[in-house]
Amino acid sequence: MSVLEIDGLRTFIRQRTGVVRAVDGVSFAIEPGETVGLVGESGCGKTMTGLSIMGLLPSRGFIADGAIRFGGRDLATLNEPAMRKVRGNEIGIVFQDPMTSLNPTMTIGHQIAEVVSEHRGVSKDDAMARAEEVLALVGMPRPAERLGYYPHQLSGGLRQRVMIGIALACEPKLLIADEPTTALDVTIQDQILALLDELKDRLGMAVLLITHDMGVIAGRADRVLVMYAGKVVERAATGQLFHRTRHPYTAALLASIPRLDQPVTQQLYTIPGLPPDLAHPPAGCRFAPRCRFATKECDGSEPPLGGPDPAHPYACFHPIGPDSALARAEVTERHGGRDGSATSGDLLVLDHIVKEFAVTRGALLRRAAGTVKAVSDVTLTIRRGETLGLVGESGCGKTTIGRMIVALERPTSGRVLFEGQEIGRLAGTRLRQVRKDLQIMFQDPYASLDPRMRVGSILREPLQIQGFGSAAEQRAHVADLLREVGLSPRSTELYPHEFSGGQRQRIGLARALALSPKLIVADEPVSALDVSIRSQILNLMRRLQAAHRLTYVMISHDLSVIRYLADQVGVMYLGKLVEVGSSADVYERPAHPYTLGLLNTIPVPDPEVERAKRGIAVVGELPSAMEPPSGCRFRTRCPLAQDVCAAEEPPLRSFSGEHKAACHFPLQTVSEVPAP
Amino acid sequence: MIGYIIRRIGQAVIVIAGVTIIVFILRHLLPGSIARAIIGLRATPQQVATFNRVNGLDRSLPLQYVTFLNQLLHGNLGYSFKQNMSVDAIVVHDLPNDLLLVGASLVLALLIAIPVGIVQAVRRNKLVDYAATGISFVLYSMPAYLLGLLLIAFFAVNLRVLPAEAPQQPTIGGVLSDPAGLVLPVATLTLITVALFSRYMRSSAIDSLTQDYIRTARAKGLRQSAILYRHLLRNSLIPVATLVGISMPGILTFGLIVEQLFNFPGIGLAYFNAAVDGDYPVVFGVTVLVAAVTVLGNLIADVAYALLDPRVRYD
Repeated sequence: MSVLEIDGLRTFIRQRTGVVRAVDGVSFAIEPGETVGLVGESGCGKTMTGLSIMGLLPSRGFIADGAIRFGGRDLATLNEPAMRKVRGNEIGIVFQDPMTSLNPTMTIGHQIAEVVSEHRGVSKDDAMARAEEVLALVGMPRPAERLGYYPHQLSGGLRQRVMIGIALACEPKLLIADEPTTALDVTIQDQILALLDELKDRLGMAVLLITHDMGVIAGRADRVLVMYAGKVVERAATGQLFHRTRHPYTAALLASIPRLDQPVTQQLYTIPGLPPDLAHPPAGCRFAPRCRFATKECDGSEPPLGGPDPAHPYACFHPIGPDSALARAEVTERHGGRDGSATSGDLLVLDHIVKEFAVTRGALLRRAAGTVKAVSDVTLTIRRGETLGLVGESGCGKTTIGRMIVALERPTSGRVLFEGQEIGRLAGTRLRQVRKDLQIMFQDPYASLDPRMRVGSILREPLQIQGFGSAAEQRAHVADLLREVGLSPRSTELYPHEFSGGQRQRIGLARALALSPKLIVADEPVSALDVSIRSQILNLMRRLQAAHRLTYVMISHDLSVIRYLADQVGVMYLGKLVEVGSSADVYERPAHPYTLGLLNTIPVPDPEVERAKRGIAVVGELPSAMEPPSGCRFRTRCPLAQDVCAAEEPPLRSFSGEHKAACHFPLQTVSEVPAP
Repeated sequence: MIGYIIRRIGQAVIVIAGVTIIVFILRHLLPGSIARAIIGLRATPQQVATFNRVNGLDRSLPLQYVTFLNQLLHGNLGYSFKQNMSVDAIVVHDLPNDLLLVGASLVLALLIAIPVGIVQAVRRNKLVDYAATGISFVLYSMPAYLLGLLLIAFFAVNLRVLPAEAPQQPTIGGVLSDPAGLVLPVATLTLITVALFSRYMRSSAIDSLTQDYIRTARAKGLRQSAILYRHLLRNSLIPVATLVGISMPGILTFGLIVEQLFNFPGIGLAYFNAAVDGDYPVVFGVTVLVAAVTVLGNLIADVAYALLDPRVRYD
């Protein structure tokens, strides 16, 4: 007997442009104790499916058709009072962003106790006692004391534990986890996913895991449903889905993820185009316009979800056979770099740079309450035409380094040398001249373009500031730039909101390229984008690097993205550079336990690899950057830490050539004694 | 929290000190001189000299300011030669009446505006919302004296159920002994403020309703009333607390008009009459006092803000 059985669910949303068919005929079941993964890109209807089950649709949304059978009732037609008894009691839900999903003005104890009193009818004291029990269950340290905390006093990971506590306080039969770890750092993501798994077994519930991340699905789900444009296109046991993929969309999705075990000379697979407008979906197969295997048949009629194996249905007329893998894109020549031929010396040198931000307290008499040590003594060299990748968890100082490189921040001490000039000391005209060579590309394609400027003006602005040619020359250059990043030259007349996220990131890249810079700092350039769009941007960045001999500083929390682009990789932890080396050294022979921990925590889109993972993981939470731990800053979370780690700060030591790490107990043999 | 209040009081003191400097400068910018303004244009130069000596006006400006400040700190707001009594006496006499008028209107306005704003937000773009929006725009755009006159015309002249004038005994006890007379002045002031507050409460509540924590509350299976009372109310009040603080001067100004209209025995009326009469000591004294009340109102609003929002407490 299934816990949940969804049959032909259609959820529509009324909008000015028409009725959006967000979920269009979805059927599936979840068995007791099972984790079902629902995977797809943004706008595919996966979240709307979850919200339909909970009866939490936005005010313009409604269930148009279908049944949601749960515990002998049909939730699609259940009235509100009866539905209230299901929510939080029989079905719990965990949302994506723990920063905004908790009430900021209520203590976490009350927020958990509230759901207990609502459904259990117990006294206030009993409800609070249960809240304490639940906090202990979700692994909150010192639960009794934390009951009185407000959400802002907790880190993101701990807040998500509270959110899980709220969802589980009444021991539901089904837990819906909607992107439960997307807003968290990889090390915390790993902890939260492990917690969900453990609690599922302990409480014997079923879990619907909604995510865009194939890696998360691979490690945690028993069965997977792949959604595209409001429909389930493929359904299979996790191993089957990953290894005997039938639907071209699933295959394309898997192929477009940069992987740690894939040769970096290969271009990433890209899915051309954009998902369809669900207010006016195409008549036939919804993936047909983007599909490389599509024929006339696909445009004319819709393939049903079926196939020879009832345990592995797919909706496609031309499924990928068991032998025919998706043709990989052509191998591209890698730009100059390690081969040395195209390299001509150092472009940028970071020499013992330190950045500290004063934290002040008091509204009237501001006094220093301490300093945040954002970057502590980092030394790095970036060669011309190469890509330096900086990785680390949020708060490790990687963004601050990026801002110092493009002279948006000045180092507190140390020097940033660009072509031998110390840019931290430049001012006025000299600084403006250097800025032409140093450009930056931001993470959020929505917030980093002025919404009231046309794209033409956005791209012309840097040219005007730097006095580039005549107006006609500027316009011609803008048209070239747009063509180069794959946008129509007519885009100049449009405003940023008229573009999709991926297109906006192309505009951001065009803006960074406008002045033909020598170096571009790309700060999380693809983390706000969907997988299929992400690979388009990464390929584009690589092509442009080769064409313009660009040097990149690529900042990302995503190790696989860094591996795809970077020649040299720097791993940062709490303001310190803990390991640096060639991409091969860092990924294949990590010397620092933190690097290995990070590598172990990245979800890999391969069920066997994911499940076989063992060894060093990163435990606990990031310590405060105002009072970093003595000695080695990583020691509080390191499984190998000894007394010496607290007493002495480990120096960067060489392993082979350029490969260096700062650890007392490195995982590789030290090749030489550190230079005095 | 205590530290926060102390710091805020420190800021309040600085603001009030600034006001005293402005008032002090204004006194010296009076046409003619202070002496002429007070003892009249026909006074002989000798009389002026004597007045200046007696009142310390022949001393240096900084010294005069120190004296002025010293008097203020001892609760001496000045002396009205026109009314032949100290400004303190006038204030002490009238202030309770004002606190009653403004305080009652403010409390009533919040008691009406908060639920109305929440209902509007929940029933957004429905009939109730449109009706409440329409009414509040009419009230908000109507001049205070016109609204007061309309109320008088309807309730006092046509229906004859309420008096057209405020209670005329000048003491607080006297005012309270005639509650019927208070109804129209308080109602006028309340209606104007309700319009402003409910608009704000509506948009604040609409904003809160779209927040993820409201969705979390719904996902807990809570009743609508529990969601509104426990999760929406406090979060929506946070911006409104600031609004109440910054609208204090506006409310006091409306109070002045209302007092004039209903002949209400309060400081607003005294202020108005003093301004018309050229009774400068009263004008200056009350200005300092109003500044102090405004700053105090803001202080209370900020403390309320800190109480409502746990995130500002430890800053």
